[in-house]
Amino acid sequence: MSLVYVALALFCIGLYGTLTRRDIIAVLASVEVMLGGATVLLVGLSATSNLAGVSTPPGETSGVGLVILVLAAAEASVGLALMLAVARRLNTTRIDELDEVSG
Amino acid sequence: MSGSVFTGYTGGLIWGLGGGLVIAIATLFGVWWERKVAGRIQMRLGPQTTGPFGLLQTVADMVKLLLKEDITPTQADAPVFRVAPLIVFVPIAMAVTVIPFAAGWAPLDTSVGMLFFLAVPSVSVIGILMAGWSSGNSYATLGGLRGAAQMISYELPRTLSVLSVVLLAGSLRPVEVMEAWRWWFIPLNGIGFLVYFISSVAECNRGPFDIPEAESELVAGYFADYSGIRWAIFMMSEYGGVIAASLFGAALFLGGWAWAPGLFGTAIFLLLTVVLVTAMIWIKWTFPRMRMDQLMNTAWKVLTPMALLQIAIIGVVIAWL
Amino acid sequence: MSISMIELVFWMIAAASLLGALTVVFTRDVTRMALGLGVFLLSVAGWFVYFSQTFLAAAQVFVYVGGVLVLVLFAIMLVHRSGAGRPALESRHTIDSIMVAVAVFVLVVSALQDVGSALTVTPLPGSPDAISAALLGPMLPHFEALGVLLLAALAAVIVISGGERS
Repeated sequence: MSLVYVALALFCIGLYGTLTRRDIIAVLASVEVMLGGATVLLVGLSATSNLAGVSTPPGETSGVGLVILVLAAAEASVGLALMLAVARRLNTTRIDELDEVSG
Repeated sequence: MSGSVFTGYTGGLIWGLGGGLVIAIATLFGVWWERKVAGRIQMRLGPQTTGPFGLLQTVADMVKLLLKEDITPTQADAPVFRVAPLIVFVPIAMAVTVIPFAAGWAPLDTSVGMLFFLAVPSVSVIGILMAGWSSGNSYATLGGLRGAAQMISYELPRTLSVLSVVLLAGSLRPVEVMEAWRWWFIPLNGIGFLVYFISSVAECNRGPFDIPEAESELVAGYFADYSGIRWAIFMMSEYGGVIAASLFGAALFLGGWAWAPGLFGTAIFLLLTVVLVTAMIWIKWTFPRMRMDQLMNTAWKVLTPMALLQIAIIGVVIAWL
Repeated sequence: MSISMIELVFWMIAAASLLGALTVVFTRDVTRMALGLGVFLLSVAGWFVYFSQTFLAAAQVFVYVGGVLVLVLFAIMLVHRSGAGRPALESRHTIDSIMVAVAVFVLVVSALQDVGSALTVTPLPGSPDAISAALLGPMLPHFEALGVLLLAALAAVIVISGGERS
């Protein structure tokens, strides 16, 4: 059970950072923390639990982890590219200054 | 949860510490060897007064560097600046632990050893960026940026070239790869070895790929502001990288101990390693430094397609094995 | 009360990951934030080793610490150029956000209460053989979809970051 607490704490710390940070890069880093916490929980539960008497085959535990890993890497690289493009065109990386489309 | 998972890793930790020490000593002689070879290439003799054949020259240099003042620039971000050299060195020393030195034996015998060898040294890029950024100096920052771009780019062909060995041997465990090794892997995997060798030289930031530390343009790049022992750790990691890459290449591409039984095989393995180290030194002192765009083009437009071609060749051949 | 070796390792990894995560969220210095992220990502690899998924751990180090973290540092160095002083990272809506985070924590923990009793199995090692059997067997659609996704991401990054030809 302590695994659930720790992984969820990581997720919620990341959530807090995502909500409060003003710089795009810090928001991206916080999103990575959220993803990491969720991955730890998923892989950990998949490796150790036998809910309803069924346990996951070890290959699929790692397989799910790899899927998340690749998704998160793609997400991070596209996010950073967007950040660079925004920084280059608008000269800011503060999300509260990017209010062109807000009413 | 089982305790057996960790016994392997505690063992690996002990071997890792021992390996770090061995690598540190090996780099001393690596530096000596480089100075000797470079001297010969430039029609000089190299170090010769300290000890027989100047063998103790680098030991003396080490003592000198240890006694020098350890300067942290006022502009620098002190804690990050101080810890950066260790973050460059430790992963390289760790990577050496998975190399199979003798039949059926590697210090850290793990089922993902091939991936481990590629993955762990990539952490030292972080150390290079930390050093460049925390120095608070434009030259160092530029050097750090160049180093990171270069090492990330060359990781791709390097990984792909190792993948062709993994395909041939059908295992990620270095010890098993060595057991599956046959002499005709060398011609079959020739392009792969070439790609591995070139990208390893680039991964170590050595000439002709040494633009992150180009003396004539960037002073010394990311470690321009370092002095004394911390500077020495950077030099040690460069030579440690060369030695680690040569050990790995000699074992998994050139057969290592598979050529002869017992200790004799290990001797051949170490001899092959020395040959590869010498080749790297030779390349450094013969070729002019590349430009940044040439460097990137080599990685993405030459080496990566070559490595993919090698994988395709092996993919076809493996059907008949 | 004695703590077993395994529990000690568990709490060491937990402490490292919490420390890294807290640094990412609370530090005001952008380089420290990136280094905190590095500690966090390495500790996630530590979690994977703890659960016997060594391949996943090596992939985590390779992709995240050697790849994504370097990209993050790279972006920081390109955007916040050195020289003009270290930019401070600021936060806003801190009180509301803490409430949201705590609420989510309580909600999910209460939802996962019955999981605790099921955590009894010793993790099986996620060996390369088992992973390849899974990826080329039941997870083949995921595997292929990831390939397409990576290609799309690669193309997108090139277009977004390099597409300024005036």
